[in-house]
Amino acid sequence: MRSAIPAAPRVGTAQILFGLSVAILVIVVAVPVLLIFFNAFWVNGAFNIVDVVKVLSQPETYQALLNSLILASGVTVTGTIVGTFFAWLVTRTDLPFKGTMKVLFLVPFMLPSFIGALAWKMLLSPRSGYINRMFMEVFGFDGPVFDIYTYVGIILVETMYLFPFVFIQVSGALERMDPTLEESARISGADLFTITRKITIPLVMPSILSGSLLIMLYSMAHFGTVAVLGIEVGIYNIPTLIYEKIHQSAGSFASIRTGTVLASVLVVTAAFILWLQNRVLSRGRYQIIAGKSFRPTQLKLRGLRIPMLVFCIAYIGFTIVLPTVTIFMVGALKTYGLPFTAENMTLFNYKFILFDWQLTRDAIWNSISLGFVAAAITMFAGVIISYVIVKMKVRGKGILEFLGMLPFSVPGSVIALGVILAWSGKFGINIYNTVWIILVAYIARYMAFSLKANSAALEQVHDSLVEAARASGATMWQALRDIVVPLVRPGMLAAFFLIFLPALRELTVSVLLYGPTTRTIGVAIYTLNEDGETVYSAALAGIALIIIVFGESVIKRLFKIRYK
Amino acid sequence: MRPTRLLSVCAGLIVAAAMSTNALAEQKKLYVYTSMKESLIGGLKSAFLKKHPDIDMVHQSAGAGKLMAKIAAERESGHIMADVLWTSEVPDFYQLKKEGVLHPYVSPEFKAAINPLPDYDGSFTAIRLGTLGIAYNTRYVKTPPTAWADLKKPAFKKAFGVANPALSGTSYMSVALLSKTFGWGFFEDLRKNGAKMGKGSGQVVDDTASGELLASLGVDYITLDKISKGATLGLAYPPEVIVIPSPAAIIKGTEHLEVAKLFIDFLLSKEGQTIIAEGGTLPVRTDVEVPGKYNLPQVADAMKRSIKIDYPALIAEKEATVKTFTAIMQK
Repeated sequence: MRSAIPAAPRVGTAQILFGLSVAILVIVVAVPVLLIFFNAFWVNGAFNIVDVVKVLSQPETYQALLNSLILASGVTVTGTIVGTFFAWLVTRTDLPFKGTMKVLFLVPFMLPSFIGALAWKMLLSPRSGYINRMFMEVFGFDGPVFDIYTYVGIILVETMYLFPFVFIQVSGALERMDPTLEESARISGADLFTITRKITIPLVMPSILSGSLLIMLYSMAHFGTVAVLGIEVGIYNIPTLIYEKIHQSAGSFASIRTGTVLASVLVVTAAFILWLQNRVLSRGRYQIIAGKSFRPTQLKLRGLRIPMLVFCIAYIGFTIVLPTVTIFMVGALKTYGLPFTAENMTLFNYKFILFDWQLTRDAIWNSISLGFVAAAITMFAGVIISYVIVKMKVRGKGILEFLGMLPFSVPGSVIALGVILAWSGKFGINIYNTVWIILVAYIARYMAFSLKANSAALEQVHDSLVEAARASGATMWQALRDIVVPLVRPGMLAAFFLIFLPALRELTVSVLLYGPTTRTIGVAIYTLNEDGETVYSAALAGIALIIIVFGESVIKRLFKIRYK
Repeated sequence: MRPTRLLSVCAGLIVAAAMSTNALAEQKKLYVYTSMKESLIGGLKSAFLKKHPDIDMVHQSAGAGKLMAKIAAERESGHIMADVLWTSEVPDFYQLKKEGVLHPYVSPEFKAAINPLPDYDGSFTAIRLGTLGIAYNTRYVKTPPTAWADLKKPAFKKAFGVANPALSGTSYMSVALLSKTFGWGFFEDLRKNGAKMGKGSGQVVDDTASGELLASLGVDYITLDKISKGATLGLAYPPEVIVIPSPAAIIKGTEHLEVAKLFIDFLLSKEGQTIIAEGGTLPVRTDVEVPGKYNLPQVADAMKRSIKIDYPALIAEKEATVKTFTAIMQK
């Protein structure tokens, strides 16, 4: 037995781990973000707020800010309504096939919204959209029934893919809610309306709010849908304006500066939203304590049972099945604009994209390998950092927690801009145009996911286990390897998939960083669409959907079974 | 032990990925940045690689505006990845030449080619003569337009599109030429008739094929490629034909100078020019015929009817042209 553990040299495993964690976070996360603020507020070495105000008061940037706000607010309102309604429907009513419905309502979560936007463009562009044409040609309408290139169009498309944020939170809250509260109100003679208003809604309000703030956070920073549906008609939000600035104005420093100012605004807004969410959650947390009670009483839909089921099925058909089918059908057309008849359909596009075209083959390989490597690195780094945060008693670990969670409030376009500033040669390392710069950005972007999953797992490992190992003579490393890691393995795997799957369909970050050979799937789909290669773009989107759904369902399930 | 195994698998994959990028570096590399679409560059690339199997060519295909932004960003970072730049935005080349970014090279094949560019010193060489006409959807447009002024007619109300000149070189050149010929009033009238500004030069043609637009300013080979795939499109040339040389240039300081020269030689060779003509655009060599299957004017005829290009004015007014056009179209 070694009795000298407390008297170990000052630079021990703990310090090394701590130093390593800080180094990773500072280099990968803090430097890029700081550079954004630095470039935005310092001009020629001096603090300069006048210039920032000047950039913000340009009509173009001002309008983009306003658009971001309009779109995000719109999506938040509609997404919250849709999400809450369906959550209530699948938890508190006697809707048939509730379990299946619940799973189906989560499907939009794994579909990339820019692919959805692409499909809706094909369905609802005013003159040639298939739905609009059907109405005009078959039913003799004078004009289109709906124009997707509008604020309303963008808001509706984003809603379809973002409402699960609220749905998950609210259905969880409704399920965990202590039903005795409602029951006692009923026993005291309150009617259903009063119960809903006075008991149910106040109880789930924190969940609704926190879900809707997540929608807002996501929508503010969202690139894809606005890029596909908005740019053409002059609707820009902040991320699309940053993209335009970087990609069109010959990359002058003025445009990068404008980008950093816009990015700063985005960071501040996002931080505010997160702060708001934290407050809402901390106030609401104690209210929904799951009592060991009976299942909550279900509202009998009676005559509405079947119509509601039909409505849900129609909603899923309209928002999930229809766009997906459209993508695959258009991907099989010989050229865009032809009617869907047998002689116009071909599998050539799919074959060309998978086997012959270097651009798309590169893209598929890049996305898969980037996702895999980024997930693996972030998973291991996340374990180390979470361990320091959760288990170790080191001074200054608050900084670690802050740094690790920082990317959560830093939108993708900001991270991308930051890594351009940090890693394109100004500080000795130049990985611009290589796949490494995207990898660094992904690690920064997804570190928060890994920390969340790993911290949750680590919190469940009691300190006494490690202490027992140490007391029996194991070194720090042995204790980690033999005790901690096996116990947190589920958390690590969760972190891996939390990163790998979103990275597969990532667009916002890589669209600002891609080079000749480093397109990702998202970038390839987006640029092909922009270049007018609509059928190839749709075919690649179809293949991406297959890869994503395969990843989400098959691989995830395989791993769960093996590691349970 | 499982975590260790997972770790070693990951480490192995990272090493393998790193090695595979290294292995590729041993081949002779060539990076080409071009605004040509896959239907044109794809064929050229595979023929070039067949001739030189030891070369590994990578091409970045995007609008001229994006490529210039990329190159500008690369210059800031200290290393231009592109070895060869080939777009249709001629003023960019004069600008790059002035800034000393281009490596002059007069290909031996140049003798057989016509040169539309003044002050030729080999810094950049015209590879094709791109023509632009009015691409229209034959399902909806029964009488093809015959003059640029036809686009002001109610038949094309809210249904004519021009690509964004900040993105597309051909669009920028066409806007510059048409505004010089007919004055800005021409575009103001088009806008009054509901004309739209789209994204890339390919997208407006695809939008025309789908019927979203009835007509658009169409690049020859992009439109003809879609027609050959069955799109219900037509390409009409008004009397004043827009002919735009697409020059290619070698970037100064490239590590792959010899390969870059080989590529320029190939583009100007009879083989390369035949592929270009087959693709549906005009070659620069007089000994290469334009296939009859396309409704393209022959080179001599096109040059005679073409809107003359005042290069110095074009270069001086580049930014103003894009600004004025964007202002009109977003009114």
